[in-house]
Amino acid sequence: MLWLIEAITGFVLLVGAAAGVALWVDGADWPGAAGWLSHHAWTLPAAVGAVLLPFVVVEPPLRYAVHRWELSGDVLYARSGWLSREWVFVPVSRIQTVDTAQGWYERVLRLATLRVRTASHAGSSTIIGLDDHVAGRLAEELARRAEQLRDDAT
Amino acid sequence: MTGPAVPPPGGRPAGAPGGPPPPGHEPGAHRLSPRLLLIDPIRLLPSLVVPLAGVLVAGGFSAASFGWAAVGVAGAVVYSLLRWATFTYRVTPDRIELTKSFVGRSVRAIPLERIRGVDVTASPLHRLLGLAVLKLDTGAGGEDEEGVLDALTRERAEALRGVLLVRRPGPSAVPDSGAAPPPAPERLHARVPRTWLGYGPLSGAYLLTPFALLAGAIGLIVQWGDEFGLSERTARHALEWAWDRPYLLLMAAVLLVLAMPLAGGVLYAVFNWDFTLRSRDGYLVAERGLLTRRTVSLERRRVRGYELADGLIERRAGLVRMWALVTGLGDSSTRGQLLPVTPRAFAEWVAADVAGPFHVTLRPHPRGALRRRLFRAVVPWIAVALAGLALGWRTLAVVALIPAVLGVPLAYDRYRSLGHGHDGMRLSVRSGSLRRAQAVVERRAVVGWRIRQTVFQRRSGLVTVVAGVGAGSGGYAAVDTGEEQGVTFAAEVTPEWLRPFLSSAPGALGGSGGPDGGDAAG
Repeated sequence: MLWLIEAITGFVLLVGAAAGVALWVDGADWPGAAGWLSHHAWTLPAAVGAVLLPFVVVEPPLRYAVHRWELSGDVLYARSGWLSREWVFVPVSRIQTVDTAQGWYERVLRLATLRVRTASHAGSSTIIGLDDHVAGRLAEELARRAEQLRDDAT
Repeated sequence: MTGPAVPPPGGRPAGAPGGPPPPGHEPGAHRLSPRLLLIDPIRLLPSLVVPLAGVLVAGGFSAASFGWAAVGVAGAVVYSLLRWATFTYRVTPDRIELTKSFVGRSVRAIPLERIRGVDVTASPLHRLLGLAVLKLDTGAGGEDEEGVLDALTRERAEALRGVLLVRRPGPSAVPDSGAAPPPAPERLHARVPRTWLGYGPLSGAYLLTPFALLAGAIGLIVQWGDEFGLSERTARHALEWAWDRPYLLLMAAVLLVLAMPLAGGVLYAVFNWDFTLRSRDGYLVAERGLLTRRTVSLERRRVRGYELADGLIERRAGLVRMWALVTGLGDSSTRGQLLPVTPRAFAEWVAADVAGPFHVTLRPHPRGALRRRLFRAVVPWIAVALAGLALGWRTLAVVALIPAVLGVPLAYDRYRSLGHGHDGMRLSVRSGSLRRAQAVVERRAVVGWRIRQTVFQRRSGLVTVVAGVGAGSGGYAAVDTGEEQGVTFAAEVTPEWLRPFLSSAPGALGGSGGPDGGDAAG
C-alpha cells in the first residue's frame, strides 16, 4: 500500500513536471526552435506517463510480494527488492542500534520503518512498512535480546 | 629569522620527561615540549611568505613595510607561544585529558580503554629536535575526534605510549576467547630488508607521483604566478618558445616517463624505509619511514584478519602488500598496513604469525561468472564500436575495438581471481584483476550477511554474498557465486544463523531454490 502511494506520488510528480515543461515550451514561441517542437510538446508528458505507468502498476505489488521479514533463533532475516533482490541476515547478538522511524505516508497508514544497525554497513538492515505497533514491539524485543546476547567480538 | 626571535621560556627540559608541571594547574598536568616553539613558527612560515612578500613588494621595501613584516613574524611567534602555554594534557588512571584554553576553554577527556591505537610520527624537523607527534586513535571516526599531542620529546612520547597502551583487564576483554594472549613482551615479526625496497615501483601506486608533483607545481605557479611577476603573457611566451623546439619537449616527456619509476621508487623507499613489525604488550607496532619516522600501534585483540593485494605486475613477480583488518580503526588503508611490497611467501608467513594461518585453496565460482565478466569487459566497447560504425566514425570504431579485445584476457583473469573459502576459523574472499585483493577474516568478526541478486544475475543463477564485517571496509563480497554455492558458503561459516531459515522455510531464501523460487514465495 505504502509503495503504491509512493509510486503514484512519484508518477504524478514526474508527469506533472513533464506537463509543466510542455506548457512552457508551448507558451514560449521561440524563433529558433523548430515548429514541430511546439506543436508536439504534449507528446512529452504522454510519453513519460506511458513509460512510467507499467512501473506504477507492476512495482508495488512485486515489492510487496518479495518483502519479508522473520525473527527466528535470534537472527533477523529480511528480504527486499523487486527487480534485484536482497536477503539480509543479522544475528541479534551483533546488533548495535535499533531505530524505528515514520514518514508522512507511514503515519497516515499507521506503518513504521525499522532500522537495524551493526558495526558494518553490509550487516545493517531496514524493514519498511511494518505495522507501527509491530515495529515498536519488534524494536523493543530486538534491543532487549541484543542487550542479553551482546558479545564484543566486533 | 626565527632563531633569535624565540624566547626560550622555562628553559630546556633538560632530560626531564615533558615540561615541568606549570604552576597554577592541577597536579599531573603537562605541557607539550617547549622545543615545539622552534618548530611552530617555521611551520607557520609558508602561510606567511606570500602575504609578507606582498607587503614587501607593495610597500616597495621601505622601512614601514619591513616593520609590518616583522610584526607578522612576531605575531606568529606570539601565537605559537600562547598556544603552547595554554595547551596541557593530564593522564589519570582511567583517562587522558587534553585542555585547550587559548580562545575558548575546551577539555577533551578520552577514556584510556577507548584508545585503540597510538600513532607516533616524527617529521624531519621533529626528529632534528628529538620530538614526536602522538596521535590517539579512538575509533570515533573523523579527524577532529582524535587526540593529538604535537609535540612531545621522543622519550616522553615513548613513555606515554607505554602508559596509554597498558593492557587493562576490563570487562570488554573477557569474552574474547579466539585471540591468543601475547606470548612475549616484545617480539619481532618482520623486518623488511632494504633490497626489497626495489619492489616498490612495481606496485604502480607511486608511478604517477611525478605527474602529481608536476601538476602541483603548475597549480602553484598559476595560483601565485602574479605575486612573482609572472603573467599570462610570459606563460604563453614560454609555451610558444617550447613549442618551437619539439626536441626539447620530447626530451622532457622522455625524462618524465623515465622519472616515473625512479621518483616513484625513491618516494616509496622514503616512506617505507626500514619497515619493522613487532608485537609489544598485546599491540602490533609497525615502524617505517626514512625522513618522517612513523610508528603505528594496533591493538592486537582487535585484529580480525588481513587483506593481501597485488597488481598485475606484482602478481607476475610474486609480490604482495598486506593490511590488517582492525575493528574500529579509522584511516585503515595507511594505518593498518602490515607490510609494504614483499614476496608472497614471506607475507603469508608473517600473516600466519600475526593473524593466524589460512591454508585453504579457494573454491572457484561457476562459469556463469566468467560469462558476466566477459560481457562486462567486452560488450560496452563493442557497442561503442558499432555506434561509431553506424555514425560513420571509423576511427572511433577502431579505437573502441582495442579495449574490447584487451577485455577478453582481462575478463578471464578477473574470473580466475574470483574465489571464496572457509577453514573453520576464518573465511576468505578474493576478487579483482588489475588490483587483486584477498581478504581473510575471522569468523567471529562477521556481523551479518547480505545476499544480493540483480535481474541479470538471476538469469545466470548467480548471487553476490557479502559478509558484513565491522573492520576494514565493512563488507567483503564473494562476487557472483552460484546460488547454492553462495548460500552454502554463508551457512558453512555461520551455520547457526542461516540454518533456521534453510530448514524451516525452504522457499524463504527465494533464489536459492532456483530462478523462480522467489516468485513462488510471493
